[in-house]
Amino acid sequence: MTGAGDRRPGPAAAGATGVTVLRRALGLRTVVSTSTGLAFAALEYLAAAGLVAYVAGDSAWIAVGTAGLLALMAWGCFSELNGMFPTAAAIRLYMKRAMDDRVALTITFTYLTTIVLVVAADAFIVGSAIAHVLGQTAWVAGLMIAALLAAAVVSNLRGVKVAGGVQDIATYAVLAVTTLVAVTAVVRSHRALRFPLAPLHGHHPGDFLEAVALGVFLFSAFEWVTTSAEEVRRPHDIHRGMFIALAILVIVCSLITVAMSHVLGHHQLVSAYPQLFLGRAAFGQAGLWLMAGVTAATAVNTFNGGFITASRFIYATAREGSLPSALARLNDRAVPWVPVVALGVVSLVVSLVVAATGSWTVLVAVGAALEAMIYAVAAFCVVRLRPRLPDHTRPFRLPTRRLLGGFGIVVFGVLAAVASVSVANHFDIVPLIVIAVGGGLSALYVLAVLPRVQAAEEARKAARGRRRPPRRPPEAPGASGASSAWSVAPK
Amino acid sequence: MADRDEIAEAYADWRVRCNENDRLRRMLRGWDRVVHLVATDTGDRFTVVVRDQILAELTDGADEVADVVVTATSEDFADLFWGDLNPSQKYMSGEITLAGAQEDVMRLDAMSMVAFLDQ
Repeated sequence: MTGAGDRRPGPAAAGATGVTVLRRALGLRTVVSTSTGLAFAALEYLAAAGLVAYVAGDSAWIAVGTAGLLALMAWGCFSELNGMFPTAAAIRLYMKRAMDDRVALTITFTYLTTIVLVVAADAFIVGSAIAHVLGQTAWVAGLMIAALLAAAVVSNLRGVKVAGGVQDIATYAVLAVTTLVAVTAVVRSHRALRFPLAPLHGHHPGDFLEAVALGVFLFSAFEWVTTSAEEVRRPHDIHRGMFIALAILVIVCSLITVAMSHVLGHHQLVSAYPQLFLGRAAFGQAGLWLMAGVTAATAVNTFNGGFITASRFIYATAREGSLPSALARLNDRAVPWVPVVALGVVSLVVSLVVAATGSWTVLVAVGAALEAMIYAVAAFCVVRLRPRLPDHTRPFRLPTRRLLGGFGIVVFGVLAAVASVSVANHFDIVPLIVIAVGGGLSALYVLAVLPRVQAAEEARKAARGRRRPPRRPPEAPGASGASSAWSVAPK
Repeated sequence: MADRDEIAEAYADWRVRCNENDRLRRMLRGWDRVVHLVATDTGDRFTVVVRDQILAELTDGADEVADVVVTATSEDFADLFWGDLNPSQKYMSGEITLAGAQEDVMRLDAMSMVAFLDQ
């Protein structure tokens, strides 16, 4: 998922590796940029614009800050779980220990759809934004979406990976330019902020709850950096990096929402590219082009991180025997080509449907609900694993586990429920239907198909037989040492 | 518990299979790496070097800089090199742990899969 930006030699993360030093290990800078960059997709701008509708005046920053505090609770949960299982397979390890494996797999497969949604949404937003600045029509945007996803699939199949240095620069540039544009737009408006401290002015308290649910989505995917746990120079860099990333996201997202509510009109807020209008408010036509470039840059992380994370996870799950073995086929560059192509095709279909129907707000709602759901699951795992694995090493512990863990389960569960029945400040069950269909298909696969997949794998294994020869009897006294045919070469 | 000779014998078989597999050699193009193996139960440590698409002989000890570190029981190492063990299953259950870049880990798993399953 990550590149080699801040890679220098570092001690191996595995505890039993003694004196071994990893040639290349990720440092804190790249952990922060990865965590921030994965969360800060192009969809961030649409979610921020959507959040503005739920609160009064320019007070959306309060909802963002509240969501940030809740995300901090999720950070505590993921930090504890990552410390216990510092591996890319952590989500499988802690979930199967905390609950029935079939339930764990169903949740995991449903959660994977978030990655597809974010990739599809980014392709749609970037394609639409570029078509807009070029003055092209909707069908040109569709072509650009297809071209973007095709480029992402081909580069993944060829094993091209965005270098870590490029990833670091892209992420920090996106954040810096977005901050500059947001502040400049507010300053150049020459108007005082409206109700910056009264989010409920003229709004129902339920609106604020929905704003917080959307706010949680602004931080979604910050935890994906935990899949880099095997590559870091120092294990604690993961939870420190996620913490710094959350702080950065709170600041930048607060500024965006305040700027958008302050300078953009309703029709601009509900467009597919509100960030372009924000850029124009700050720096005129140059700002519009600047934000178009920034939007395209966000795709670097989404396509790099999203495709690699999802395809490798699908590959590993297929190799484990929990998905059909066809999904573990590799091309000559050792890339699991079936998951990569499948992700590209599904993302293309979803993004074209969104482009044709204009229903990106549904995408945001589905993503927000799924993210809140996985945070609730993480809190549940922390609460459940403390008594189940009391002696397991925990470099980081969520304080007051019962209180914060229990609170996290309830709060994120409520936020997931709220987000799943609300689209653009209206009651709408379409997100719930989408999630139910995804979850239902996952459950159907786990309950009906998986047993057959596993039986077929067992049959193949039995047919192959065991290759390892039976153990040799102990050597007679006085016999010579081990055969040179299989002795270890001295170092 | 597998001793050093058993692991070395298994590795020797695996090495031949890997080096004679044309597809695997294509996959290893440009992938020169040092891999350390650490047996948790015996404390044995080994080094595997991949250079110019060829796996070198297993060497004793692992006290230099590595690209990937694989930690498992000695039995798991022996079974893995004989092709009797699916390393991904052990990895996904937490019994095999790794340290290193994800793409390097992928190549290692690809080696065991292609060498025995030719997928």
